[in-house]
Amino acid sequence: MAVASKTWKALGTSVHVLTTDPHELAAAELAVREILEDVDAAYSRFRADSELSRLNAEAGRTVSVSPLLATAVTTALTAASVTHGAVDPTVGTAIRIAGYDDDFSRITEDRGPVSLRALKVPGWQVVHVDRASQSVFLPAGVELDLGSTGKALAADLAAHAAHTAMHRGGVLVSLGGDIAVAGPPPEGGWRVLIAEDSAVPPDGDGQVICIGNGGVATSSTTVRRWRRGGTILHHIIDPQTGLPASGPWRTVTVVANSCVDANIAATAAIVQGQSAVAWLQARRLPARLVENDGTIHYIGPWPDPSRVAA
Amino acid sequence: MKSFTSTDRDRGLRRLRRLTFGAVTGATVAVFGMTYVAAASYAGKASTASTTALSTSGSTATTTSSSPSTDQSATTSATAAPTATTGSSGSGTVTSGGS
Repeated sequence: MAVASKTWKALGTSVHVLTTDPHELAAAELAVREILEDVDAAYSRFRADSELSRLNAEAGRTVSVSPLLATAVTTALTAASVTHGAVDPTVGTAIRIAGYDDDFSRITEDRGPVSLRALKVPGWQVVHVDRASQSVFLPAGVELDLGSTGKALAADLAAHAAHTAMHRGGVLVSLGGDIAVAGPPPEGGWRVLIAEDSAVPPDGDGQVICIGNGGVATSSTTVRRWRRGGTILHHIIDPQTGLPASGPWRTVTVVANSCVDANIAATAAIVQGQSAVAWLQARRLPARLVENDGTIHYIGPWPDPSRVAA
Repeated sequence: MKSFTSTDRDRGLRRLRRLTFGAVTGATVAVFGMTYVAAASYAGKASTASTTALSTSGSTATTTSSSPSTDQSATTSATAAPTATTGSSGSGTVTSGGS
């Protein structure tokens, strides 16, 4: 049966919602829109009135936060913990100094050189979340950036919300290529084109895999790039140096039990470099890694690209 | 203006529960479990070929060089558009890529 879809822009990226039952599309769309509005208000780094902006502005004090922001910060800290700091939310200052200090559509023009110094970020351990009082403490000078987990978390929340709002069938939510699914998939599974850029149309070049549950996420240094003083920079910061990651992988895709898990693993792999192969294998995560020269590696039970179904 | 219905209220209550601290994330984040990935893959217009073993410890990994191959196009689904669109999307393919 044909699935139904709706596409729009939110959170500075493309949103795709697909339902297996066309009659459920409207309910799913409404639920997703509501979640994304909440997410934007809670943890957009580029809205001065977001909760995250206020939290960063009040570093040095304990700040009460909404359940959603508390969840997002906790998720980011968990990501840092399970990746041994490879994905760390305290890169906020580093990424801002590198030039990513505004909505991405407004930073692409070269504004001249920036002065960058290799310096380890403060580290996720300095951030304290008090579950009882639902508050967060950032030491003075520490800025959070939830970019490595926030969008994927939003995809999981949106898929969950959409499925809850629906009466039957399954749903897929894609936020700029971070994909979460909930409920029963279409026959054969949800089809996902694997690309380096989420802007590649779904009938474009590349391998299409199928998933039945969980999520898929891709992290890449080939997108969200900008130029400062002639030097190309990108958005994936290595917490050990505070500079854009410069390892062997330019793009990593991971399939996991949730979109946020997939995105944590994909981003961690970019930062970890060569050691990511063993790290992904130890967690039995299906992954596709693209080297800087374009060579592709498949880790774990990734579908054989040489087996082509009609 | 749209009136407030019991359906809206129920949805609102569900939404509040969903956004309760840890309710969803606690069940999903960082378990790193493997999800089901179909054994079959569907090549796009220019897909991959020629695999060779990558020497890594512990399990199988392969290396592939990109090269054009036979058109086994996946069905187009949601199209990325600057404005909202609705429509049937066939088998429903979406793109996972960096953004």
